[in-house]
Amino acid sequence: MIQIKDLHFAYPRQQALFSNLSVHLEPGSITGLLGKNGAGKTSLLKLLTGLLHPISGELSVMNHSPRKREVSMLSVIFFVPEEFYFPGTSIRNYFRAHAPFYPRFDIVMLERILREFELSDDKNLQRLSHGQKKKFLIAFALSTRCRLLVLDEPTNGLDIPSKALFRKILAGSLDEDQLVVISTHQVKDVENLIDKIIILDNGEVIFHHTIQEISQKVSFISGTSDDRAEAIYSEAVPGGYRLMVPNILEETEVDIELLFNAITNGHKIG
Amino acid sequence: MLLFKQSLVINKRRFTLGLSAFSGFLFIALFFAQSVHNYTNWGNKDYVSTFVSIFFSLGIAYSAFSFPPFRSKEKSMAYLMLPATNGEKFVYEILSRIVAFIVLMPLLFWTVANLEGTVIHYFFPELTNYKFSFSEGFLSIVKDGKFEFWALILTLQGILFIFIAPFAGASHFSKSPLLKTILTFSVVMLSYFLFTFLIVKSFNLEGLHHQRNSLLFMKDSQMVIELLGIAMVIVNLTLLTIAWFSLKEKEA
Repeated sequence: MIQIKDLHFAYPRQQALFSNLSVHLEPGSITGLLGKNGAGKTSLLKLLTGLLHPISGELSVMNHSPRKREVSMLSVIFFVPEEFYFPGTSIRNYFRAHAPFYPRFDIVMLERILREFELSDDKNLQRLSHGQKKKFLIAFALSTRCRLLVLDEPTNGLDIPSKALFRKILAGSLDEDQLVVISTHQVKDVENLIDKIIILDNGEVIFHHTIQEISQKVSFISGTSDDRAEAIYSEAVPGGYRLMVPNILEETEVDIELLFNAITNGHKIG
Repeated sequence: MLLFKQSLVINKRRFTLGLSAFSGFLFIALFFAQSVHNYTNWGNKDYVSTFVSIFFSLGIAYSAFSFPPFRSKEKSMAYLMLPATNGEKFVYEILSRIVAFIVLMPLLFWTVANLEGTVIHYFFPELTNYKFSFSEGFLSIVKDGKFEFWALILTLQGILFIFIAPFAGASHFSKSPLLKTILTFSVVMLSYFLFTFLIVKSFNLEGLHHQRNSLLFMKDSQMVIELLGIAMVIVNLTLLTIAWFSLKEKEA
């Protein structure tokens, strides 16, 4: 679905952000795009959606060049940016005006998600709080039933119950032919949701594995300083250590934060 | 078509309020202008001159804010991601910002002017010339009542240029598009005149006009009008092309 090969990108009068970046993604997964500040996560999402243009290299999304912004591509992808704009109109008017652009739009799904998010469709979008606006945008994005859903920091601005609801709704609203790419710093918010992790660092993909592959290779356990010798990576936490160790016993839940810190500190999972 | 429907659903309240506010403003402005003329010294020519000044000043401002989503990054992203072709977005913008204005503004002015004239005449009977007619007004300006083909082309292209230039500027400049467009055109015009001046000086061409009773290769004013007409067509097409590529290659 997404084919990136030897992609080169730089902002005007700046050093190259991506040099020879290559990624391949297939539908049917929720991929977490992780990276430090300035690693290029948002830029990569914008390149995927045609909002930025690569200098060279191959970039194809569902066999389309995003740069061309063809209707056949735009009608099956949806980008939820971190900062967004809504016109001063009601939720109902907004979806009446925008839904016809998306051939797979599911009004029943939208009504269901709006109910779950406790949003009434007669509310004026500009009078909603940032979190409520974001919930509506996510609801609308999911209801388009787009093939590629790109979410940039989707849980920023959501309260704690809404974050849990977001995970539940996202997991329950997707089909096999859809691909979701989530860029986030809040790794805890997407734990148990993503099934593939890509870590970007210095404009390169330094890690690209499924959760299953990670679980098979490493375990995440709590321990004491004595256990550190065995660990690939460890971090002090109140009452002991969190450890990433080679998986020799049993599969554990992936501690994405620990994994991220391990990888960005130069460790490998084998 | 979807873009028009979308815009109508989202902006119908704003359109209605804008049109009402403008009609009210026009009503008051005409009443004020007529009262300044003591009602008696007011005629169709005054209506036309009021119309021309409002038409162009408002038209420039309106077309200078074409592509309103480009004024902010968030709006740009939403607009660029909307599933419509660049061609549809471009045509929608031309139709809503230039064509609709050129067609609807005279209609609105005519309606408000005649309504206002009738109302004011009722209270101030000394206002006798209160019926406004475009054709009468313009025919009184165009002395012999007829236009040559090339003069008509030049006039139409000149009017279109007044709208297309700020339209192209708005597609290219995100912030302060009107100011930046005016500055850009000022620089282009100044450079052109400076270049022409230097050419004339360098090649000692000052006497050419008097010697052959012509301006370079142009023999009479008709040829000047033809050349300017063609030049204006080329300039307008170039500006539309710039606007098209600005939209097509726009990044968020």
